[in-house]
Amino acid sequence: MNQNSFSPKARWDRFEPEKCGFNPDALNERIEVLANFKHSRIFPKSFVWHDKEYVIEIITYNWQERIGQALINYFSVLCSGQMYQVSFDNYTFRWQIDKLIQ
Amino acid sequence: MILHIDMDAFFASIEEAINPRLKGKPLIVGSRGNRMHTVVCAANYAAKALGIHSGMPTKRAYSIYSKLEFVAADQAKYIWTSEQILELLKGFDLPLNYASIDEFQLDLGSSPSLNPVSLGKEIKAQIYANFNISASVGIAKNWLLAKLASKLNKPDGLTLIDGSNFEQVLRKASLDKLCGMGGKNGQILMAKGLKTCWDLYLNLPELFNNNPGKFDENPGKSSEKPKSVSHSYTLPRDQINPQVIQAWIRLLSEMVATRLRQQNLTSATVHLWLSGPEIGNFGAQMTHQALTNDGYEIYQRALKIISKSSLNNPKIRVIGVTCSSLSWGYYSALLKEEVRREGLIQALDRINNRFGEGVIYPAITALTR
Repeated sequence: MNQNSFSPKARWDRFEPEKCGFNPDALNERIEVLANFKHSRIFPKSFVWHDKEYVIEIITYNWQERIGQALINYFSVLCSGQMYQVSFDNYTFRWQIDKLIQ
Repeated sequence: MILHIDMDAFFASIEEAINPRLKGKPLIVGSRGNRMHTVVCAANYAAKALGIHSGMPTKRAYSIYSKLEFVAADQAKYIWTSEQILELLKGFDLPLNYASIDEFQLDLGSSPSLNPVSLGKEIKAQIYANFNISASVGIAKNWLLAKLASKLNKPDGLTLIDGSNFEQVLRKASLDKLCGMGGKNGQILMAKGLKTCWDLYLNLPELFNNNPGKFDENPGKSSEKPKSVSHSYTLPRDQINPQVIQAWIRLLSEMVATRLRQQNLTSATVHLWLSGPEIGNFGAQMTHQALTNDGYEIYQRALKIISKSSLNNPKIRVIGVTCSSLSWGYYSALLKEEVRREGLIQALDRINNRFGEGVIYPAITALTR
């Protein structure tokens, strides 16, 4: 897979001024996640953020992005009526909550 | 027969799949996070019905409908989805063309055992099942007609153009639906009285009878040398600070240089394009004897273009840097300073390849952040 196809600018676009940047709502906070790894795929089931457990009801979408050597797996998930974007970095094995999806 | 797959409002559909709350509501995907200072990069069908289309400034889109839903574009998910669709289509084991991020073409040949309509339905169903987004399929004897067919019944359409409905479809299809006729060409022909695709067919039948399309053995990876490599950027607002403008030229030069090095190319010609309220569109180029794929050198050449022009610190809104006159292969440095410079570029590339593009960057580009 060539993640650079069509626009390597995708990476550079992130570096915009804070107030009108790519993702002003970014949280990027570490979370603990319970997930199933099945048939080379990842299925997050629940996560703990600020000592509260969030049970994932639906994974609405998932996608990947290569950043340097790391392959980041992104998931948009629904928990009790609120959408979240969480991600897993297969290089550092870090799970994080990226943002709330409005 | 060619089967053309055109994803319906691709970026917006993915955002709707991610966040089902947005489904059916007028939605725009902005190319930047600031909703009032960017352009519409994609609009879903509810927004299109209001007259909102891609390329429109978001301010204008909001003046049409103030309650528009807005999502900032995240190209990684669109690229990933596009590549996954390509992988899915490879499974059909037919010659395949990766036409663009949201368009794919399959060459069905002339095998009588293959039912193009059933295949089109199967592909649509598989795309929907895997990604929860819809596609429109057009089937015809060549890619131009297949692409036209895919546009006729959007969204979620499937249209076959064959001998039985050829004239009927072309009579109904306005000329601007045909690929290449949306801009000035179409306007010129329409001014001459050609209103529909059928009118054009009567004047230029070979256009509709040829156009077999281009199918790679290795879709998604072209071995052809590009004519040019370029990057451009529309600033959030008019910019007069020369340092900031130079920072953007440097960043775009670095982006172009990175792509040149990724493709093992060097360039002799640098073209700088600027646009602003006072100067309109300004473009100039310079060709040098020495080939380069060094971002700093490209930047210096772009600055030279400005210094030789009559521009006097104008307000700038859009900046574009293009490298052309491309050659394969690396330029081998001779002078000690050049060898050091080449070593530095290689080290920077290694760092960015390992930790992600733009992790280490020229200090001046911090002004673009």
